Amino acid sequence: MIEIKNLHKSYKMGSNSLHVLKGINFNVEEGELVAIMGSSGSGKSTLLNILGMLDNSDSGEYNLDGVPIKDLNETKAARYRNKFLGFVFQSFNLINYKSAAENVALPLYYQKVGRKERQEKALKYLEQVGLRDWASHLPSELSGGQKQRVAIARALAAEPKVLLADEPTGALDSTTSYEVMDLIQKINDAGNTILVVTHEPDIADMCKRIVHLKDGVIVEDKKIEQVRADQYV
Amino acid sequence: MFDRDIWQEIFHSIKNNKLRTFLTGFSVGWGIFILVMLLGSVNGMQNGFHNQFNDDATNTIFVSPGKTSKAYAGFEAERRIQFKNDDIEYIKKSFEGDFEQISARMRRGTTARYKSETGTYQVQAVHPDFQVIEKTIIMDGRFINMNDLLSSSKVAVIGRKVSEDLFKKENPIGKFVEFNGLPFRVIGVFTDDGDDNAERGIFAPITTYQRIYGNTENIDQIALTYNTSYDLTKALEFSRRLEDIMKRRHKISPEDQAGIFVWNYAEAFDNISSFTGLLNKGSIFVVILILIAGIVGIGNIMVFIIKERTKEIGVRKALGAEPWQIIKLVLFESIFITGLSGFIGLLFATGILAAIGPNIKTDAFADPSVSFSTVVTATVILVIAGVLAGLIPAVKAANVKPIVALSDK
Repeated sequence: MIEIKNLHKSYKMGSNSLHVLKGINFNVEEGELVAIMGSSGSGKSTLLNILGMLDNSDSGEYNLDGVPIKDLNETKAARYRNKFLGFVFQSFNLINYKSAAENVALPLYYQKVGRKERQEKALKYLEQVGLRDWASHLPSELSGGQKQRVAIARALAAEPKVLLADEPTGALDSTTSYEVMDLIQKINDAGNTILVVTHEPDIADMCKRIVHLKDGVIVEDKKIEQVRADQYV
Repeated sequence: MFDRDIWQEIFHSIKNNKLRTFLTGFSVGWGIFILVMLLGSVNGMQNGFHNQFNDDATNTIFVSPGKTSKAYAGFEAERRIQFKNDDIEYIKKSFEGDFEQISARMRRGTTARYKSETGTYQVQAVHPDFQVIEKTIIMDGRFINMNDLLSSSKVAVIGRKVSEDLFKKENPIGKFVEFNGLPFRVIGVFTDDGDDNAERGIFAPITTYQRIYGNTENIDQIALTYNTSYDLTKALEFSRRLEDIMKRRHKISPEDQAGIFVWNYAEAFDNISSFTGLLNKGSIFVVILILIAGIVGIGNIMVFIIKERTKEIGVRKALGAEPWQIIKLVLFESIFITGLSGFIGLLFATGILAAIGPNIKTDAFADPSVSFSTVVTATVILVIAGVLAGLIPAVKAANVKPIVALSDK
């Protein structure tokens, strides 16, 4: 699903150049649930942004579902994002003046899906995250965990190839975190490919594979025995 | 453009961001409001000036005698000039084609009495032509005619107010009224568009008054109208010619400013026209300044809006919005808001002008209104400018990398 070869990225900070990613090589197969771990500054978020086409790499190869991702202009990047990727952010990033259902329907709008179908799908995915009854509520009326579940429903609504979650539990308490991870595991069980960026070991243990980043290189890449989150819920 | 979804997005955004919508709308609506009020007021002033000068025929020239200030042709200075009937005959002969109406004018105060009612008025002794010169409107009866003049009849045309004062509800036509003890038969009642004061006047034949006041041929003033086909230059040229000839006839030095006064309405009208023209130019200048202020205001708010929406734009881009879709969203929203609020400002201002316009009873101000096309043009300019001002930050926002827009950590 994802193939990355010798990926480099550096940021210019005034006259200095900060080399963040120093040759990343890794592949993700379909249906995997991968945790990308590392301390702050290790380059894990940068890697995710490049995977998410939110940022460009300096050099290296990136293939997503067999499509080479390079030299994208804004319009093309937007189309690929819409077609291939679903995002879950640490700070949820729901649009505050839209109801839960409208937020979930938004990626479908950009896929040019008809109104009726959008509404149906939005409700279907809200159902899947257990928030069907909250469809008409604004984000401000939802708890943190509920917001993140709406965000996950929104990421799922576009039916992406890969779900990218950047610290999805970073702003949540541990109980809510496990609820969200339980949801992510269930989505993965259904066959979706998911990448989770986290710095919390217990969250990483709930994935099937852990990739450890340090100072811009992968120092460890291991398959693990998945800890199910539902035992904590 | 007429995609239902994008308008739904826009209405949604407007409905949920009332303060933002109000701020944008207010600056546009207010700009248009001030604009319309200003243009309306300038128009009102212009109309006021024109109305005041329309009272009398606008092609009138008055020639009045004065006192010489220079010794000339064997005469000493300080000589009083007196016009006589033959001055009129002379002008008639010398300036055929230049003038249309001509009349002498003699003004005397009088105490008028009918039965027990008395009042003090001014009698203007004139020729029949004077009716046209002063734009006097006969309500009842007739004006002075040639027969009255030839027979020096003691007849009078009285103003509406005079009739009200002396005759109350009686019909004055045919009744006799005493002027300084002499009986005059009322032959007509007149009104005047220009002012109420004129309606407190009385007209009598010039010959009658010349006979009463010392059986002379003297006249106080000559009033005439120049050929209506004359433009300003020709009219001024005519009055200069008239002045020169009258000075020569009365042996006044050509350089003497005091011997004869020729007062030409065309000249006054020219001054007024250039004044209102200046007023107009000034108001256009102010309008441009207002438009610039409005554009800057709208641009300011647009920048603020885009800043506020940066994160939302980042989310939309992450979800797959193309840059053009972002620009379209922002652009249509601002077009809609500016257009609608401009229209509301326009309605308000024209409504106020229409409401107060007829109630203003000042001579210098009348019928304040604006041409619709001017205002619509201004609104369109404001909307386009507002959109352009908003387009720059919108394009910028649309090109921001989603990762930058979303970074809030």
